[in-house]
Amino acid sequence: MSNDKPHVLVVDDEPPIRRFLRAALQSQGYVLLEATSGQEALSMAVANKPDVIILDLGLPDIDGVEVTRLLREWSQTPIIILSVRGSESDKIAALDAGADDYLTKPFGIGELLARLRAALRRATRVANEPIITIDNLTVDLVKRVVSVAGAGVQLTPNEYDLLRVLAIHAGKVLTHRQLLHEVWGPQYEGESHMLHVNISNLRRKIEPDPARPQLIITEPGVGYRLRVN
Amino acid sequence: MRIKIGNRQFSINWRGYLQGLGLVVLATLLGRLLSQLFLPANIIMIYLLCVVITAIFWGLGPSILVSILSVLAFDLFFVPPFLALHVADTQYILTFAALLLVGITISYLTSRVRRQTETARRRETETATLYTLSRNLAATISLESTVHTIMNSVRKTFERNVVIFLPDVQHKGSLNTYTDGSNINIDENDMTRARWSLENQQKAGYGTEVFPDAKTLYLPLNTARGTVGVMALYISDTAPQIADEQSRLLKAYADLAAVAVERTQLAEEARNAQILEAKGKLQTTLLNSISHDLRTPLVSIIGGLSSLQEDGLDLDDLTRKSLIQVARGEAERLNRLITNLLNTTRMEAGAMRLCLQPSDIQDLIGAALEQLSGRLDTRSVKIDIPLELPFISVDFGLVVQALFNILDNAMRYSPTDSPIEIAARQVDQQVEIKVVDRGIGIPAEDLSKVFEKFYRVQRPHDESGTGLGLAICKGIVEAHSGHIMAENRPGGGTVITLTLPATPAAARTTDE
Repeated sequence: MSNDKPHVLVVDDEPPIRRFLRAALQSQGYVLLEATSGQEALSMAVANKPDVIILDLGLPDIDGVEVTRLLREWSQTPIIILSVRGSESDKIAALDAGADDYLTKPFGIGELLARLRAALRRATRVANEPIITIDNLTVDLVKRVVSVAGAGVQLTPNEYDLLRVLAIHAGKVLTHRQLLHEVWGPQYEGESHMLHVNISNLRRKIEPDPARPQLIITEPGVGYRLRVN
Repeated sequence: MRIKIGNRQFSINWRGYLQGLGLVVLATLLGRLLSQLFLPANIIMIYLLCVVITAIFWGLGPSILVSILSVLAFDLFFVPPFLALHVADTQYILTFAALLLVGITISYLTSRVRRQTETARRRETETATLYTLSRNLAATISLESTVHTIMNSVRKTFERNVVIFLPDVQHKGSLNTYTDGSNINIDENDMTRARWSLENQQKAGYGTEVFPDAKTLYLPLNTARGTVGVMALYISDTAPQIADEQSRLLKAYADLAAVAVERTQLAEEARNAQILEAKGKLQTTLLNSISHDLRTPLVSIIGGLSSLQEDGLDLDDLTRKSLIQVARGEAERLNRLITNLLNTTRMEAGAMRLCLQPSDIQDLIGAALEQLSGRLDTRSVKIDIPLELPFISVDFGLVVQALFNILDNAMRYSPTDSPIEIAARQVDQQVEIKVVDRGIGIPAEDLSKVFEKFYRVQRPHDESGTGLGLAICKGIVEAHSGHIMAENRPGGGTVITLTLPATPAAARTTDE
């Protein structure tokens, strides 16, 4: 971890994309590292220990999902995936392999900056925070108490576990498989119906308007994330 | 052939001879009874009757025997001295000769008539089967059904298993095999023999000089233009022979089959050529339409960006900002168009793989609204989703996209201060989602056309549509066995109704 400016490793084989990211990120005070292939990315991650990695899934040498897997063998550096529309399965594979977030190309720089900030904040957050607060929602992990605008909310054990997992990883996209694995256990990874029912119930209890969720955000076909302020 | 048929009857028709013999005995007994009343010359008529009966019913051989026996019996029992071969009155020699000659002539003529009748009857049956086959073949359209019609008919007529080999149009040199449904193992030898027959345009296999050891007869399907395939007939051990007349019929079948196969192949070629041509035309039209839509946003993007880059232009901040804003907006429009185009192509190529998972309607609508969030903030959106609505088994991402396109339209074609309403409900075994706006509506004559590709309602100052959004919705909804419909709302506005089947969630499996 650098002491002042965060280091961002951008991995993409397209020069114009690297150029536009360089311009935008440097102006925001990030230190930029660039790699054009999976191999280069892996060696630069070892040598330079970046604070966050922006990784394109379509690399010329190693598949981006594989790069993610190899990085996760030794590093917890946040990884934001860049992918093209229509490759939902790659996206899910990368997230399952340990990527933190994804953006679909083309994307606005505002969105990327927001994701970058959120990823860095998650990485630097003190791990053992006992109380998580988002908007009106408070999750007390020690007392196992959830409240909305100060009023206690009754949750079933599964709903609580689901909210707990989402809250611990607040801001991060969690795939259906990851959520089922964390809350119900590895043998339930295919039971997405259970997950959707619990999400639906949870929303009715904590969302101000369950039809337009503000806290638990659906990532279509991929998973869910808890929005951070 | 005549001799052969004679031989065959001779060898098997012992019954005919015995019956002929019996008839002569009967005639003799009857003659003895009547000999008091009639002259011997008239008794001869009874014998001649026997010859005729025998010739009609039992054929040439027995009737000749009957003729000879009749002469002998007449001599022994009616011409004195009785029970002796020599005759007292020599004029009877003439009677004997005449009787024998007439008997044999009758035998010969009658049996020839009989044989002709038989042949005619057989020919009639053959013609009838061939006619039925050709009529059935005329009704077939695909190669597959033609081949099966031929095989069924051959199997019924010849009571043998049949296989048809046709050259593969796509892969030169390889043969496609069609079997009649029975379990026939086609090995490499079969293929080699069939290929030989195809290449040499000659019979091969059982009963021929080429591959005589084979248990199969290979008949080339020859037409004027060449050999279109090979028909193989399996010779089982129980019915080893193929008789000559059968072989002739088989040849007729092969000719008929050849013409039919050729006809379907030509028809298919013609059809393919037609499809290719139509495709080419459509592609040109699409390309023209798309290239215009693709270039229009690029004009503003390139124009705007080059203005910003130009040193000589002295632009104030407001102008620069507006140029950037226009370029960004147009770039996003271009992105939307390309996404829609890709989706359309994917749908048409049949590459749209549905990843079905039980989905919450509320979640689907919420996710679609989330994607519009920036633009929706100022709009009033009323949502009515009953709590007890069942989950539906759909591809989440695709249905969200369909809803997004509908909501996007509702927003773009209605005043910013008018509300948009979304309502879902269960109707029998289906879930119905309605998106209702207070916008400009759709002219009645366009209601059914708005779901067609590249169809846009003609309106002045409407630049931003692609004519693909609703076509994609229709594609997505129909891929889920659902239904989409546009109506005008009483009092102004549009109602888009999307109906998707609601299957019991518990019975569903997930694809994750």
